[in-house]
Amino acid sequence: MKNLFISAALVVSALSVSSCKKDDKDTTPTETTGTVELNMAHRWGMGADNFLLNMELVHPMTQDTMTFTTFKYYVSNIKFKKADGSWYVHPESYFLVDLATAGSEILSIPNVPTGEYTDMEYTMGVDSLRNVSGAQSGALAVANNMFWSWNSGYIMVKAEGTSPNSGSGSFAFHLGGFMGSNNVVTVKTVNFAGNSLTVTGGHTSEVHMTVNPAKLWHSSASLATTSSLMMPGATAKTMATDFYGGIAFDHIHE
Amino acid sequence: MVVSLLITSTNNNHSPLFDRGDFFQNMRTILFIVAISAFLFSCKKAEIENYKEWGFEKPSHFPEPHYKFENNTQTYDRFDLGRELFYDPILSLDSTISCAKCHAQTHGFADHNVNFSLGVNNTVGKRNSPALSNLAWYPNFMWDGGINHIETFSFAPITNPLEMHETMTNVVAKLNASAHYKEKFKKAYGSETVTDQKLLKALAQFMAMMISAESKYDNYVLGKTTFTSAEENGLQLFKTHCASCHTEPLTSSFGFANNGLDSDFTNDLGRGLVTQDPNDNGKFRIPSLRNVALTYPYMHDGRFFTLNQVLDHYSNGIVQSSTLATSLGTGFNFTTQEKQDLITFLNTLTDQNYLANPFLSEKKK
Ligand code: HEC
Ligand code: HEC
Repeated sequence: MKNLFISAALVVSALSVSSCKKDDKDTTPTETTGTVELNMAHRWGMGADNFLLNMELVHPMTQDTMTFTTFKYYVSNIKFKKADGSWYVHPESYFLVDLATAGSEILSIPNVPTGEYTDMEYTMGVDSLRNVSGAQSGALAVANNMFWSWNSGYIMVKAEGTSPNSGSGSFAFHLGGFMGSNNVVTVKTVNFAGNSLTVTGGHTSEVHMTVNPAKLWHSSASLATTSSLMMPGATAKTMATDFYGGIAFDHIHE
Repeated sequence: MVVSLLITSTNNNHSPLFDRGDFFQNMRTILFIVAISAFLFSCKKAEIENYKEWGFEKPSHFPEPHYKFENNTQTYDRFDLGRELFYDPILSLDSTISCAKCHAQTHGFADHNVNFSLGVNNTVGKRNSPALSNLAWYPNFMWDGGINHIETFSFAPITNPLEMHETMTNVVAKLNASAHYKEKFKKAYGSETVTDQKLLKALAQFMAMMISAESKYDNYVLGKTTFTSAEENGLQLFKTHCASCHTEPLTSSFGFANNGLDSDFTNDLGRGLVTQDPNDNGKFRIPSLRNVALTYPYMHDGRFFTLNQVLDHYSNGIVQSSTLATSLGTGFNFTTQEKQDLITFLNTLTDQNYLANPFLSEKKK
């Protein structure tokens, strides 16, 4: 019985200790981390027209008329570099941008230590390890329909819609591949060039990026020639490389 | 802590420990045993005890498994959930088709001797449903090896329109609407919220336990039994002509080969579908031959119904093509006796303990 009393006392004191902590927090607002939001703004073509689902667009190069019904892609492994050369690596850093899901174009990275950051690194696609590591959760769950069932691997970019230029009246491009020459996974870096990213305790800093879906066909044929692609390979590689190449840092908003 | 366990346990008439009379003689022993028994018996009774003796254990003559339950630690509840899911048609669009429909234990977990399986709405599949065993040793799955992980595997049959024709989102919603499954998922993965990840991992727990290692062949390898001269002769022929691909003891190297069935591969490119390399056209994943006597029809399209036909093929039916495995040449020209002995040997791969293993059967409710 004595043991029980002792443990009860311990529990009570533990509770009171943790409630003390809470009070401390309220009175001392010095937080050591902040949040960075990567804001992916989608713009169609060099004229930077609006890009929305279910909106008729004309491709600036192929002249195809296109209406997107699905536009989804993965961004992963986001890292920030401090002026002293050290990196903050965001853990479990996988994001699925899905234009059909409001808010998914804002990638929120909490718990970034306060300080000045000069560079950012991010990966377009899903690193090869996660393509071979079994059932994943969250952004990487297979239920997101971004995983090939018959030929394991993530679909890293999915663009679907309708077009009068396509023989079938529709188009569907599922780009992926993580092995050898078919690997589309692309690591990208941004140097904030003098205008460093300041992370302040308890605040959110925004990094604005622009994404141009028209780039997918920058050096690829009209939908009249190819309107569907469902596997890794040279075409997927070209389209992904062009698309990823067009993703650019725009500005910081603190 | 110990005191409180004693108090609850003395009120517990179910505790098997209190059937014995000599117990109250040594207080220390009681405290000790009660503490242990509270540990062992509080959640599960006999079942988990049996399971403990039976949990994943590498057969001593097998190589290291490929799947080692990384990020999916083996527990009885996870295995048990996976087993129930394997037998439950809830995974299919109209709740008509379970995994077991196309993978029947009595048939070495192949389909019921049909060349092509029927999916939802009786749609006919495109390949023969393979026998399943020793899946923890598979580095890849499917006749073309397109799937790289036992955990992501089940995504394929569940969503294939020719098989279960369901979406993961729907399956998860159906399971989340079931009080029974919520309870089981909670036991297995700590939270009653069903997710596709937990579903896939539970199925992997069941599949990884499908271990066939107690056939006459295994007992022979382990020195527990002897072969007849026909079986012995068959084994020698097998080692000479077959084992380069059907590597012992798993009876597969899990590589890919064209074993001379066709010269025109347009019906099914096989491995070439996955790699897009024309040099892989007509190659298929070398199948395991465990329980092969029961898993007919044979080959990716189920074209042969008897082992005799298979041996006639390897003997003098090899079709020449640019991707044909060179070791097969123009066939082995087996004598009737050699074919007979090979078949006698192949029959030693039948594992009755596996085919009747109650842990792999549908659980009686
Ligand atoms: C409608 C019949 C059908 C159903 C239902 C079905 N399968 Fe299969 N299964 C097949 C066929 C056919 C193949 C071979 C497909 C291929 O190679 O393209 C296969 C292949 C497999 C393999 C790969 C074996 C190997 O040799 O690589 C495993 C493992 C498997 N199935 C497990 C399951 C599980 C688990 C389920 C339930 C979630 C399931 N199957 C449901 C017909 C079925
Ligand atoms: C060059 C590699 C290779 C050699 C050597 C080889 N096989 Fe095969 N075997 C295969 C492949 C590949 C398949 C599957 C082919 C397909 O379905 O397209 C197969 C299929 C089989 C099957 C059908 C299994 C099933 O479940 O459908 C049997 C039985 C078989 N082989 C027995 C033998 C025997 C007996 C020998 C020796 C006489 C032998 N094999 C030699 C590669 C080989």
